[in-house]
Amino acid sequence: MRDRGRIWIVVVLLILAGCAQETKITRVDSGVVTDLSGRWNDTDSRMVAEAMVKDALGYPWLSNFSSAKRRQPVVVVGTIQNSSHEHINVGTFVTDLERELTNSQKVTFVAGKDDREELRTERKEQAIHAREDTQKAPGKEIGADYMMKGTIATILDEADGTKAVFYQIDLQMIDLENNTKAWYGQKKIKKVIERKRSIF
Amino acid sequence: MSPHASCPTAPLQARWGIVVSSAGIFAAALAVLFLAGCGPSVNRYLLVETSLRAHDPKGADAIIQRAEKEYGEKGQVLYGMDRGVLLQLAGDYQQSNAVLERAEEELDRLYTRKIRTETLAILTNDTSLPYEGDPFEQVLINVLKAINYALLGQWQDALVEGRRIDHRLNLLFDQTQEKNAYRDDAFARYLSGILYESTGDVNNAFIAYRKAFDAYEAIRPWSHTAVPSQLRVDLMRTAEAMKFTQELGEYQQKFPDTKWESRQALQQLAQVIVISYNGRAPHKEDMFLDLPISLDALQLVLLNRGVAQANRSPNKAVDSALYGLNGRVVRVALPRLVSQKSPVPVSSVSMIPENGTRVAANMELVHNVTALADKALSERMTGITVKALARAATKFALAEGTTRAAQQAAGKDAGPLVGLLVGAVTKGLAVASEEADKRSWRTLPDEIQLARVWVAPGRYQVEGLQAGGASDPSKPEAMRTLSLGAGETVVLLQRVIP
Repeated sequence: MRDRGRIWIVVVLLILAGCAQETKITRVDSGVVTDLSGRWNDTDSRMVAEAMVKDALGYPWLSNFSSAKRRQPVVVVGTIQNSSHEHINVGTFVTDLERELTNSQKVTFVAGKDDREELRTERKEQAIHAREDTQKAPGKEIGADYMMKGTIATILDEADGTKAVFYQIDLQMIDLENNTKAWYGQKKIKKVIERKRSIF
Repeated sequence: MSPHASCPTAPLQARWGIVVSSAGIFAAALAVLFLAGCGPSVNRYLLVETSLRAHDPKGADAIIQRAEKEYGEKGQVLYGMDRGVLLQLAGDYQQSNAVLERAEEELDRLYTRKIRTETLAILTNDTSLPYEGDPFEQVLINVLKAINYALLGQWQDALVEGRRIDHRLNLLFDQTQEKNAYRDDAFARYLSGILYESTGDVNNAFIAYRKAFDAYEAIRPWSHTAVPSQLRVDLMRTAEAMKFTQELGEYQQKFPDTKWESRQALQQLAQVIVISYNGRAPHKEDMFLDLPISLDALQLVLLNRGVAQANRSPNKAVDSALYGLNGRVVRVALPRLVSQKSPVPVSSVSMIPENGTRVAANMELVHNVTALADKALSERMTGITVKALARAATKFALAEGTTRAAQQAAGKDAGPLVGLLVGAVTKGLAVASEEADKRSWRTLPDEIQLARVWVAPGRYQVEGLQAGGASDPSKPEAMRTLSLGAGETVVLLQRVIP
């Protein structure tokens, strides 16, 4: 009889063990490193943005331009080509970079290709629908001095459950007048992801 | 004296039996019964097929969506795969990518095997293992995603999938030693090449085409797929564009009759790629075999399957499980592939310009899914057989143990009768829970055909395209109008079920 009781307890415990999972949410600071899957994540994006801002503000290209032209350089963001193994949203670190540079009052950004189309459509609509004294006229856009372009590339190596991922992010500021490259920003990230073949 | 007394493991099993009460036996029997009911339902695929025939891929997807519970936690990869194809046919490429991405992530997680799940599979059947898919199915996840991105016009993202395909195939190549096995995917390579070339990366395109060509040659003995004539043209064009004169010379020697247009000339034109999913993928069914349990019999089965003597040492556990059941006959279930081949006439899609002569895109076989599934199963068959035998032996050993325990518990008088009854139930359950893993990606076609055609920029009407792509489901052969600019690439998708 005691044996029977014990077995039932074990059975009940086993069944309950299956129900123990529940959703748990913890708020953490956005600076906390959360490496879960090994794929590109917010930490990578932030690290890239920080490195690029430091690079962009730390080199003399900005002061050279400002002293020669007596104004801030105007920059437009071009294509950041993703030639990696992941679908990476480049918008996150490009926006970080734009924000830092704009807030430092050293660079002026103008809208990129896709945004421009939307803005022009809006101006066209204003010309028809908005009150005359509030309409914005066409032909007053500011031409950029530099275009920021870049690439994200990965090199991948994997064997027996261990994967090494190497990310290299390159950004460059190209002078729109003469195609010279005024600034290079680079960030490299390397991760090793180890997976166990079996667990209990 | 019990008739089984001569069995050498009897005392050990009787000892187990002491702690197993009759309630425990029932609990175990119930558990086995429930687990036996976890097999996949096949009816939904018939409904899906009916919907596809009625040109209603959205309805087909809804059927799969409703059956999500049947797939269960262990079928999440398969659920994503099944839905991915149907959502693609329904023209919902973003959603298709989302479910395929989830399936791929789940697949990554499944790399780590759970020992308790593996143990459960030994006690019941392989359907209690999470479905991972065959390697060729795993590659197809990325292939479908690449096609989705190309259909959306997101070429950079399509290329990301191209790179993932390359990585997956490199891993597969490293892991597979046997030369004749599936260790590279010709169509996946070919598609990557097309993606690279369409985005202007001719060098990578040439490398992918060359790998595709080598893979087509390597798998020809079992894939029944010839090297597509278009691939030869693509090889020569890209070799010429890269000024790889030595390679170009070699290919010219191999196919002296192949003519090609230079890449420069094609850059002034627009490219139309037609991908056709034809027929129905094969499915699997149970093949029950009554096998005598003995070391000699196992040896015979293994030898028949071509497993060398050296490979036997890791199966010591199998040997010891079999030892006690020498001379018995057990029933094992092995999966058997049932091909659903039905002839699809070689189709052609025509492009009719507003003024000028029509251009026909002739489809060519590029991927024989049925042949790949057949190869994948035959490669795994040895492992499946050994596992099925071990499982049968374990189940019968447990049934024996339970019977003896029941006999002891029932006492001297009722013992034989209870033994008979419990033996019948437990052994019956052992047979009932025996089921082969019949899961496979069944929303795939039997084969994939492809055509590439370059046309002068302008407006075209597409004729002969079967619905299933983004066209209107109410019109089986909807006419589509395309507006093509120079250097532009457009992908068209069709689904043909005879």
